[in-house]
Amino acid sequence: MKITYKIFLLIAISAIGITGCKKDFDNPNAATEDQVFSSVQGLTGVAISLQKIYVSGLTGSYYNIVDANGLVTNELFLVNPGNIPELQFSTGGNAVDGTNTVIANIWSNANKIIYDGDKVLAASEMLADKNYASGLIGYTTIFKALALGSLSQFWDSIPTGIGTNVKFVPRVDGYNRAVTAIDKALAAISANAISTSFTANIPPGISIINTLQALKARYALFAGSYTVALAAANAVDLTVKSSFTFDALNINPIYQFATATNNVFQPIDSTMGLPIGLRPDLLDKRVPFYMTINTSIAPRFRINGFGATALTPIPIYLPDEVRLIIAECLVRQATPDLAGAKLILDFILKQTPAADPYGVGADLPLGYTGAIDAASLLTEIYRNRSIELYMSGLKLEDMRRFNRPLSERKRNFFPYPFRERDNNPNTPPDPAF
Amino acid sequence: MRKNFKRIFNGCKYKLLFVFLTVITTASMGQVKIAGRVTNASGNGINAVTVAVKNTPYATATTSDGNYELSANVKPGKYVLLFSGVGYKTQETTIDVNSASISTDASLVQDALNLDEVIVTGTSAGTTRRQVGSYIATVKAEDLTRGATGNVLAALQGKTAGAQITQNSGDPAGGMSVRLRGISSISSSSEPLYIVDGVIVNNSTNRVTNTQGNYDGQGFVGTIGQNRLTDINPADIERIEVLNGAAAAAIYGSRANSGVVQIFTKKGKTGAPRVSFSSNLILSSLRKKLDVNQSPTKFGGPTDGPGAQTQDVLTPALTNTTPVTRYDYQDDIFRKAVGTDNNISVSGGTDKTKYFLSGSYFFNQGIIRNTDYQRYSFRTNVEQVLSNWASVSLGLNYVNSSANEKPDGNSFYSPMNSVTIIGNFHNIHDRDVNGNLKAVGERGRVNPLSVIENIKQKQTTGRIISNFGIKLKPLKNLTLDYTLGMDNFSQLGTSFMPPFTYNVSDGFYGGGAGLDPTRNGYASTGSNTFFGINHDVNATYNMDITNNISSTTQVGFSQQYEKNNYSLVQGRGLAPFVQVASGFSTPLPTADERSELSISGVFLQQNFKFYNNFFLTGAVRVDGSSVFGKNQRNQTYYKVSGSYVISSTKFWESSSLKNIWDLLKLRVAFGQSGNLTGIGAYDRFNVYSSSSYVGRGAFSSSTRLANENVKPERQEELEVGTDMSFLGNRINFSLNWYNKKVTDLLISRVIAPTTGFSNLIDNFGSLTNKGFEVMLGGTPVKGKDFTWSINGIYNHNKNKATNIGTGLILFSTNGGAPVAILQDEPVGVFYGTFFAKDASGNLIKNTAGIPQIERGIQNSPSTYTTQRDANGLPTGTPLRRIIGDPNPDYTATLVNEFTFKRLSMRVQLDAVKGGDVFNADFRTRQGVGNGKIAEQEQRGELPRGYVSGIYAIEEWRIDDGSFTKLREVSLSYNVGKMKWFSDLTFSISGRNLISWDNYKGYDPEVNAAGQSTILRGIDFGSVPIPRTFSIGLQAKF
Repeated sequence: MKITYKIFLLIAISAIGITGCKKDFDNPNAATEDQVFSSVQGLTGVAISLQKIYVSGLTGSYYNIVDANGLVTNELFLVNPGNIPELQFSTGGNAVDGTNTVIANIWSNANKIIYDGDKVLAASEMLADKNYASGLIGYTTIFKALALGSLSQFWDSIPTGIGTNVKFVPRVDGYNRAVTAIDKALAAISANAISTSFTANIPPGISIINTLQALKARYALFAGSYTVALAAANAVDLTVKSSFTFDALNINPIYQFATATNNVFQPIDSTMGLPIGLRPDLLDKRVPFYMTINTSIAPRFRINGFGATALTPIPIYLPDEVRLIIAECLVRQATPDLAGAKLILDFILKQTPAADPYGVGADLPLGYTGAIDAASLLTEIYRNRSIELYMSGLKLEDMRRFNRPLSERKRNFFPYPFRERDNNPNTPPDPAF
Repeated sequence: MRKNFKRIFNGCKYKLLFVFLTVITTASMGQVKIAGRVTNASGNGINAVTVAVKNTPYATATTSDGNYELSANVKPGKYVLLFSGVGYKTQETTIDVNSASISTDASLVQDALNLDEVIVTGTSAGTTRRQVGSYIATVKAEDLTRGATGNVLAALQGKTAGAQITQNSGDPAGGMSVRLRGISSISSSSEPLYIVDGVIVNNSTNRVTNTQGNYDGQGFVGTIGQNRLTDINPADIERIEVLNGAAAAAIYGSRANSGVVQIFTKKGKTGAPRVSFSSNLILSSLRKKLDVNQSPTKFGGPTDGPGAQTQDVLTPALTNTTPVTRYDYQDDIFRKAVGTDNNISVSGGTDKTKYFLSGSYFFNQGIIRNTDYQRYSFRTNVEQVLSNWASVSLGLNYVNSSANEKPDGNSFYSPMNSVTIIGNFHNIHDRDVNGNLKAVGERGRVNPLSVIENIKQKQTTGRIISNFGIKLKPLKNLTLDYTLGMDNFSQLGTSFMPPFTYNVSDGFYGGGAGLDPTRNGYASTGSNTFFGINHDVNATYNMDITNNISSTTQVGFSQQYEKNNYSLVQGRGLAPFVQVASGFSTPLPTADERSELSISGVFLQQNFKFYNNFFLTGAVRVDGSSVFGKNQRNQTYYKVSGSYVISSTKFWESSSLKNIWDLLKLRVAFGQSGNLTGIGAYDRFNVYSSSSYVGRGAFSSSTRLANENVKPERQEELEVGTDMSFLGNRINFSLNWYNKKVTDLLISRVIAPTTGFSNLIDNFGSLTNKGFEVMLGGTPVKGKDFTWSINGIYNHNKNKATNIGTGLILFSTNGGAPVAILQDEPVGVFYGTFFAKDASGNLIKNTAGIPQIERGIQNSPSTYTTQRDANGLPTGTPLRRIIGDPNPDYTATLVNEFTFKRLSMRVQLDAVKGGDVFNADFRTRQGVGNGKIAEQEQRGELPRGYVSGIYAIEEWRIDDGSFTKLREVSLSYNVGKMKWFSDLTFSISGRNLISWDNYKGYDPEVNAAGQSTILRGIDFGSVPIPRTFSIGLQAKF
């Protein structure tokens, strides 16, 4: 057999040639940062991801806020003590520490939303289509404000921004930054109305302008700026719903991880965890709105309300929250309007479920029967906030604002997550309680 | 020089290199016949000794009576005839080719340490153990097939020094992990590079089943399931060479960070066709059953139905009791399993054509009901001599396997965990009028019988591994060879959880108490296809510089390309009867992940040999990988090693020492290697991944920030060792000491979330593995009829992470194991809360007698100050420290072999000492009330509230992972020639028969996180490793 080397050589070289020496492969699985921030679709997608981070899943902010806030303020009962972060909350005090993953999720999500949100806001200003841009700015600002709010509600000091070794400032700064961001967004929207092509591109259910005004009212109130809060609250159209909606692929997180599993938390009972004197009236229809009774399988009280089913939308704010903000401002403002506050409380207590856009109504025809003084009205406002805004994550802030005794809650502020403390020398010391 | 080398490399011009090497001539040839007989010291013929004409392609093997005959087409002149046989020292005899027929006999001397055994690893022409400066373990066919297993890695357990081989799951195709001298990476797999006949074979673990995304809290699960080396049939293997570290594996360069395992399959031998047949019956069973709670009462109300109250133990407020019937559900999930392993092979050949053909069918049931694994495998190895200077070879291996699985342990709908998570007071066999199973308790747990009867999970794999080789000897001292390897497989997994007929939690894919049809049930189809191709071209030039100094020069080029596509369709809320994923009413996120990568490298290795007793080797390899950025792409690795066989020096040979001390070899080796596949193909990019959110498209940024200029991890290893033998090779001793250091470690490090990210992947810190390996063997009795030999291996490895920063990297794992990486500590330690103890080390208990969690002030991850209140009880924040380490202090193996006439017996004991296991299941059993501690509390032998009081103390779940196992026992009787059999052997063997341990679960050899690098020693619903017996026969025709 006569064979030349050349044949072998040819085979070998051509075989190697098939695969070649290519070393630059594009990633088909995802888009790069440059691609995303240089296109309208990319920017919209990143903005939508902020809603996803805030609302969706076990690690999403919303579920973790309801979980942490509910357990430390006695709204909720821990079904299974094998859930360690939840066990920390329900034990309270120094059992809550920096390893708590629920706390870490709220912290990390807030910073992520601010990080990506700021990038979207900066890029939106460069867009030629100003009407699309204003929608993008408004929508993104909702989540930036919610993120800042979630930091200020749970931590005594909050980071000044995004970066390496960021400094910390008192938490009121977070509320003020949220209000500033909302003002900027409202200005952009009033200059150029939001185009319908933008609203068609985001998940349905959100009324951007009303939400911005409502959040401005909420955070201005928390910051003590009653005039600002009052003005913003009055600007909200209380007949319009604005909520996070779900579909089969992305379902209501409270339903998914608490209601359906019956393994994490459930309502404490029909007292909603309130002390004697503040508990809901036995006929208050807001209680059956928020909880059902299961007589055969423990525990007896089960989540209803905004965690009832897989597709139940979660309101970003309730019209009655806005009314209660107005009432509180009227009482707390420089020249209090106690009668005005009483009128609002009467409205809220008498309101039937059918009259409320979301079906949250007390239906107590007597209305407010207590004393007309600032202290009594404020207590009644706190009581109604606790019932009306049950399991919405706002109660810890309310307890502090209304000077409720520390014994009513299991923790006043959260410790800073270890992942922050270990990697940022500017992290303040943890509060004792 | 180095720069030029790189430039050539970058430009792909190295292909031209091989053109230079092919300028050659040929001369006139003549046919010569060489024949003779090869005998041992006692004059008996030796079978299967390779006889080769050195530096030519002509070779043959002796027959069973020791005779050989060989035809060679060579020019007249002086040649060297090489005789090499397993267990014998290689002998060289010079022959003078001047006539048509030459007769040469040889008598071979036994070689206990296999010093002259040919090692193929790292060279194309092969070298001898004498020459290598680093330790290379070799495991032979007969040691792989006696241990009652169909998995090649299980068969390797305890047979190679420096390796910790763990069976992570007792499933019939359960994952195996191999750690050679500890872990060598954190971000990537620490499994070695596997090469079968020159083909780089994929050993990945792909999740085509167990695809459920919300899989218990989205914790870190690890790498679960079959690893693809399960496709290799051990019966096809001739020999395995294991290279433990960079010192040996440097010339494999960029992918050799975790060591290299080279597998060589059987080849045909000249002679009449030989048919070999083996058949084994495999019987497996649960080795140890756990004791379950036998308390006649439980706390609180009824067990099932209205007002049911389970998890009573964890609710200390309940003090009333209810009488209950206790069950043992282990009988409902376990069974005695059977299997068969049948192999047939035909081999033979002529001078020019040699072939080996084999077919195999392996079937084995799992000890979990309704699980099994079967594998068909066919192999063809053909070699053809084309001319006196050229030969080609082709190897084809087709494998088809399928496994009926049950969900992996990490979920509560797995067989093991469905039992672990319920109190043993439900009659799980109870059915309603329609014959449907009923709910167990009020918590929506899955009835174990649903898992066994209804949940179906199947995984099938088709795989072709092929290699094509060309070997050319164009000049007397030059060898060129080319290997093309291809590995192609496709895995398909299907999962089906039919809608439950009773209350099962949404989290376990049930429909809740209302049997929500849009949520109830789950189906998925996952597929993974992989294609890998590698080209290796090597040129070897041998030259005698003087009579006593010779040189071997080798240059090589390697090109590798891999492509992987993974896809998944899944949904829940199934229509009745329909098993496919399209039958759902609620779609779940689909997956479509694609990746491509390529690596290429060139190397140069130079070896000098002085007086056949001093050897020096140096090598350099340059590699580039597409995984890394342009600036970091190309890496250079060096290696240098030396070996000095003092016992072969003139001084030694003439001294009287020689009489008792046969061998003394000193060796030292230094090498570097890399981890060019240390991160995923695209992990260096910062990307926004798209997903659907409420009908709109979202672009989510990663929580992990990547440094786009990351570098590959680099390893440097220094190995020093010695080999000795005494008293006519009756006692052998080897020692390896090594220091492996991995720098530029790729870690996804936790960063402050205020940066906008939670993790940063970059080159941080380093990792060291220091240790030693001792091998001691001897033959206490060596008689005419009876021989007893004893061999031991002892491995010690100390792993440590350094320079990773003072922060704590804590992983939130699926089984709740608090796995951490901490500065100056072994990777993967358990870090968590612990029991408070007083100064004399006794547990501090409260007035009720319940132990307390330690509290105080945590000053840093590794330091704390304890605090006591007025009553002497702990106060302050719960403290954390390292509570356990899954890395063993040492592993050891002891093998005793006895032969008496035709009867032989082999007994292997494996020991793993000093490691801890995070026994998550132990605590769960107490919490839900089926364990023995719960029983004590229910019987009043422990204070009420004991279990719930210590439930949060993570140290409670740390269990002693040390064990000594009777790993393999085999007894065989060789009948020899009988009727139409040329050789017949009967055998009976056992595997994992006894374990001596203090473990509170089934088996401390376990890892629920599968083949994960970081998560080790976690027991969370894993199927225990069965006790296996095998009865079989091996026949040759």
